[in-house]
This record gives sequence, structure tokens and C-alpha cells, in this order.
Amino acid sequence: MRLEVAIRAGLGSFALDTHFASEGRLTALFGRSGSGKTSVLNAIAGLLRPQQGRIALDGEPLFDAAGEVDVATHRRRIGYVFQEGRLMPHLNVRHNLLYGRGYARHADGPSFDAVVSLLGLGALLARRTQALSGGEKQRVAIGRALLANPRLLLMDEPLASLDAPRKAEILYYVERLRDESGVPIVYVSHSLDEVVRLADSLVVMSEGRVVGHGSVEDLMSSIELRPFIGRFEGGAVIDARVAEQDLENGLARLEFSGGVLYAADVEALVGERVRVRIRARDVSLALQRPVDISILNALPGSVVALGEATGASLDVRIDIGGTALISRITRKSANALGLAPGVRVFALVKSVSLDRRSLGYA
Amino acid sequence: MSRRPVAALCIALCGALLAVPMTAARAAERIQVFAAASLKNAMDEIARGYSGAPPALVYGGSSRLARQIELGARAVLFVSADRAWMDYLAARGALEPGTRRDLVGNRLVLIAPRSSGVTLRIEPAMPLVGALHGGRLALGDPAHVPAGRYARAALEKLGVWSPLRGRLAPGENVRAALALVARGEAPLGIVYETDARADPAVRVVDRFDASLHPAIVYPMALVKGAGKEGRALAAYLQSPAAMRIFRAQGFAPLH
Amino acid sequence: MLTPDEFDILLLSLKVAFWSSLASLPVALGLALLLARAEFPGKTLVDGIVHLPLVLPPVVIGYLLLIAFGRNGPIGAFLEAHAGVVFAFRWTGAALASALMGLPLAVRAMRQSIEAVDRRLEAAAATLGAGPLAVLATVTLPLMLPGLFNGMLLAFARSLGEFGATITFVSNIPGETQTLPLAIYTLTQVPGGDAQALRLCVLAVLLSLAALIVSEWLLRRARRRTGNA
Repeated sequence: MRLEVAIRAGLGSFALDTHFASEGRLTALFGRSGSGKTSVLNAIAGLLRPQQGRIALDGEPLFDAAGEVDVATHRRRIGYVFQEGRLMPHLNVRHNLLYGRGYARHADGPSFDAVVSLLGLGALLARRTQALSGGEKQRVAIGRALLANPRLLLMDEPLASLDAPRKAEILYYVERLRDESGVPIVYVSHSLDEVVRLADSLVVMSEGRVVGHGSVEDLMSSIELRPFIGRFEGGAVIDARVAEQDLENGLARLEFSGGVLYAADVEALVGERVRVRIRARDVSLALQRPVDISILNALPGSVVALGEATGASLDVRIDIGGTALISRITRKSANALGLAPGVRVFALVKSVSLDRRSLGYA
Repeated sequence: MSRRPVAALCIALCGALLAVPMTAARAAERIQVFAAASLKNAMDEIARGYSGAPPALVYGGSSRLARQIELGARAVLFVSADRAWMDYLAARGALEPGTRRDLVGNRLVLIAPRSSGVTLRIEPAMPLVGALHGGRLALGDPAHVPAGRYARAALEKLGVWSPLRGRLAPGENVRAALALVARGEAPLGIVYETDARADPAVRVVDRFDASLHPAIVYPMALVKGAGKEGRALAAYLQSPAAMRIFRAQGFAPLH
Repeated sequence: MLTPDEFDILLLSLKVAFWSSLASLPVALGLALLLARAEFPGKTLVDGIVHLPLVLPPVVIGYLLLIAFGRNGPIGAFLEAHAGVVFAFRWTGAALASALMGLPLAVRAMRQSIEAVDRRLEAAAATLGAGPLAVLATVTLPLMLPGLFNGMLLAFARSLGEFGATITFVSNIPGETQTLPLAIYTLTQVPGGDAQALRLCVLAVLLSLAALIVSEWLLRRARRRTGNA
């Protein structure tokens, strides 16, 4: 399913000018609050009419200013899970779930029981929406959107209004959705953790414009996107495979193109793919392989580029056997070590810093 | 809210509130005359020729006016369309004693819209119901309006009242009945001759003989507490100038 | 309790009030939806016209009804000739007068209720495949139901008290158009009618109170069920 969005819209004092195309199971729309992510979702769903441009799904235009095409919302078959749920207050859970059923034109959609079991809604069916917790409301909202048999699912920061345990609960369900439902998802978030864990491809937005789009790995390690991704959040994302599980020590040995990584609490079986996020501030550099040190991961590579200095620190881009890694160190140390493009270094990453929050499962 | 606009608003409101009693006082200076609705055209014209302070003329069904006077309305002069309502007020001591006079008389007529070609003679057992062709007979409410009471008396005497009972359009006063016929909403109506003459949209079908009902007399009296302006006006209403106008409209001067 | 005549007057009042509220329901709902949701040139004018019966003297409304719907009026004559419907001097005319006088009250109550419906819910319904009419039927209307009942009962109560337009349009015909307020009025004109007039006044007050209380109760119940205001 290929989604193309190229639109311009003026929304009061805010101008939206977005171009991107995406494929894959889950595309994340990432950016700070107010960067226009929700407006893009609304345009895709037909709730917002851009002034210029084109939105197409698998080549079929949903909106085309030049061709005067503007498919009405109710005909687009695009599901939308809103940030605040928006369940019908006058219907119970069962009827909320079934709301879109009558309008679904295609009979080959997910079955009611399948969705209920996918989202664990069995016990809630007779309840009124006012008696649901935040997490339960979001699950019903997801189920409702699915049962309308959409060909694309939009999710607008579904975890934003939830507390940490609920977030984890819904995150789990979104992963299952991505893996099992067969419906492509566009997922808006301002949390990098969610993006890293869920997304196949990424669109980064700032002030109404797309500043980068592509695979998660590429964007995450791009220095240009550093200001948009956040000083403390920046880092690299590595695709790895579980080679061995050391259950006694709680560690897993992960293999990737640049070598081997040891990570803690990896909940995957041997042979499964894992995505690892390594924050720049968790990576130290050494000119020689250190000895008698607690750090398990010492990856040999070479300096590719030095980024702009901000205050006392700067980012260094390292190439580890074809994989990019970013390290944030002090300017002082960079000068002292004589770092420059081409210099061979070892990237040091503590296994402890590669914890549950850094891992995403395919 | 800042203080200045609030203060200005308060002053404006106080000013408005104070102004109301003052205007009310001025309005109360005009003396009020309550008169039966059928007298409107004549008395409006008479009042135009009055040299004293112009009175406020209030017209309506004599029943309603009498009840209002009874309940304290500040009229100084009352002209009723029948004796009964004047007696009613006299019995309750609402009138200035010794000031009652019979002013003018009137006749009852059967009317139809100008465009209607109906012919009918007023006689015992006349085919009035049939002549309505499913419509209604417009008249003052026989329960309390004098014109309606006279009409009922006449119809009873003619022996046609019972079949008509369900085919009436009772008006709040005789002018309302007149308007219904003038508009063509009612095919026939019973009003005073003076009303019929006043409205070109209706034509007289026939006249009721005076013997069919109690004499139609308009008594006039001063309401208790009336001052010299009221007396002056009452005198003027009986003057030759006023009587000329009454006669021209079709009333019968009575003294 | 009540004499047979008084009972007839009560029944007539209830009959007129019932049919007038029922007849004005679709009109009031349509106007409320139009004013709450649509934008069009002249909207303020329409709003003003709808509110006229609230501010114009009832006698003026009655007179205008007489001109238009009387047997010789353009609309009245047409209806009588083609549909056999007559308003002049009939209880149907009293119902029409009441319907007109109560319309602004009904429209206001319904409009406020429609405006209170969260438009985001309607947007959500659209994403689930519901076209505009379906959204109206399955989301907007169920959620504005309290306002609908409220508006209807306000119109009903208003009809029970309607006088000026009725007496001007259809006169005061016992058994046909003499509703409770008209009956009370007549009795105040008739000598010795005070006692009976007072009895009927008490009846009128009780009726109106009952209508308003039921309206309030229904409003509360509907609010609880839909879980929002």
C-alpha cells in the first residue's frame, strides 16, 4: 500500500507544506507538538481540505486540487483512531465496535470475534463507554476503526493521554495490529520510543514541513535531523538478529552488519530480528580497545564526520562495518583525541543502556 | 471591566428609571373615556372638534370596559352599548350619582360581504341557517357583548336561535364581528346599522325591527371621582354639534 | 371536580396543544438543524423571522394568520379547495396559531442542543463510513434528544396558554376553539363568572406546571442515558 501526500494548506497562522510517500506496515509521522502532524492525518482522512496538492492511495487519488477530486470522508475507507478516543457516548461497547459495520462495503473484513480477541475486549462488550478506563477506551477505538474494514489506519498519538502501564498495554496491541491485521498504519507520535519500536518508515515534520522521510535507521542516524529529533533523544538505530541468549546472565548476543552487540533483557528468540536504538549520549569513543573495563560492547570503526558543536559537546558520526553510529562527546575530548574523518576508533556502548526501551521487535 | 464604563452605565440606568415616573405622570393628565366599540368613528370625529384638553378614547366591548372600570380603571366617562352594563356599574356604586343620561340609539342590521348577492327578509322562521351555506354567523359574543345580546334576543323572538347556536362566530366586540364579514370569512353577520354604514366592504341585507329586541340605547355616565374636565366633556357630547355628527353616522339622538 | 363543560374545555385544550406540538416538531427540528449547522446568505434574517412570534404581539400573528389562512386567504382557500383542510373557526386553526407561537421556543431549545453535540464525534462517524444523513440519524439526533423533548414540551406548555393569536384568528367558539385561556377570558366578562374563572385558572396553572415538570424529568433522564449535557 503506497501512500502519497503532497499538499499545501493554510490553517490560520500556520502553513502546512508537506510532501512524502510511504510504504510498509507502519509509517510514523514524528515531530514536536504543533508541527502539523495531526493536520496531515486530517487531510488524509478528508476532515481537512488542503488548498493545493494531491493525496493518493495506491495511485488512486483521494484529493487532487488540480483534478478537482475530493473524495468525501465517508467514502475513503480510512480508519482513524483519535487521540481522545471519541467513542459514541450513547452506545455501549459492542454497538460502538459495530458502528462502522453497516457502512462497510466490502464483505471481506476482519470478523467481530477476531478483532475482539485481538484487542482483548471480550469482557467489556456490554459496558457503557463512560465506565471504561483510558486504556480500554483506546482499545475500543482501535477495534471500532478496524471493524469498519479500512484499507488504511490512521492513529493520532493514541498513547498520549495514557499513563505508563496503559501505554505499554496499548503499545503491545499496536504491535500486534501491525503484525497481524494486514492493514497499513500511519502513526503520529512525538515520542521517539514509540517510533523506534513500531515504525518501518518515518516522516519527520517541523513547523508544517517535512524535513526528512525514509527508513527509521537512516533518519535516526542523520546528523541533519538532529535538531528535529531532539538533543537528548538522538542516536542510531541498528537492525540486528539474535544470535544467542545467555539466560543465566540475562544478556543476548546480537549480530549486525558491523559486528556483535550485547544487550540486556531482550525478549526475542534466537534467529528473530530486533531493532536496537543506541542513543548518542550512551556512546563513548576510544582510540584503542580498552582493557579491564566493565563495558561489554567495543565496536571497531572509523570516524565519518564531526557535527556542529552545541555548547560543550558535539556529535561524531562513526561507521561500524557499514552501519552508522553516533557518539556525543565533549569538544575537549574530540580535540584531545585528535578526531577527524578517517581516524580509527572504538565505539563503547554499555549493555545496560540497551534496555527494554531501546528495543523494538519485528 | 474597568470602572469608568461601569459608572457611566449605572448613571444611565438610574436616569432611565427616574424618567419613567415622570413620563407616566404626564400621560395620566389626559382624561380617559371608555366607550363601546361601535361608537368609535363618531366619537373620534366629535373629539376632534372638542376645544378642551384632548381626551384618551378607549374603545372595546362594553362588557370588558365595565369590568375594567369595576376593577379600578381610571376612566372618567363611560358610554355603554346597553343599559344592562350601566346598571351593573350603578349597582356597584362605581358611577357618579345623578350623571347618567341616555345619549343615542341604534338599530340592528343583518349584513353580508359586499360581493355577496344574498337576499333575505327578516321574519319569523327565516331560513338563516340555510343561507349560511356551511359558514358561520358573525356577531358580538351573546354571552356578554351588548350587540350580541340584542342579536340573540331578536333571533329568539324570530324563533331561529336554537338551530343557529352551533353556527356562530362570537366576536370579542361588535367591530370584530364586522371585520369578519368585511373580510368574507363569515357569509352573514349581525351588527349595528352605524357599523354597517362605516364599512364599505359590507352591505346591509335587511334591518331588524326595533320591536324584536330591547331598545338599543347608549347610556352615558360619569365614573365616580370624575372632575370638572369629565363634566365638561359629558356636556359636550350632548351638545348640538356632537349630535349632528352622531346623526350623520346613523345614530338616533335621544334627547 | 370538573363540570362536563369544563371537562370539554380541558380536553379541547389538550387536543389543540398535542396536535400543535406534533405538527411543529418536524418544522422546528428542520429549522434548528439549518440554523445550527448550515451557513448561507440571509441566515440572520431567517433567525430573526423564526423569533418573530416571540416578540410580536400575538394579535398581530393572529391577524396575519387570518389574512393568509382564512377561508378567503390565499393559502386557506387553496388548502380548502385542494386538500379539504379548513383552519377558519376550527380547532385546527387554534392548533396552527399555537404551533406558530410555540415555534421559536422549540427551535431555540433544539438548536442549543444540536450545537452542544460534539462535532468531533460526527467527524469520527464519518471516518467509519457514515454519510451525512447517517451521521444525523445515528449520532446527532440521538445526542440532541433531550433538547428535542424539551423544545416540544415548551411548545406544548405555550399552547396551553395561547390566547391573543387564537382569539383573533379563529374566534371564541365554545366546543370548537374555546380553549382554556379563552374560556377563562369569557368568564371574566360575564357577570358572576368570577368563581368559575378562578377554578379554571387553577386548572390552567396545574396543567402548565405538569407539562414543565415532565419536560424537566425527561430532560434529566435523557441526559443520564447519553452521558453528556
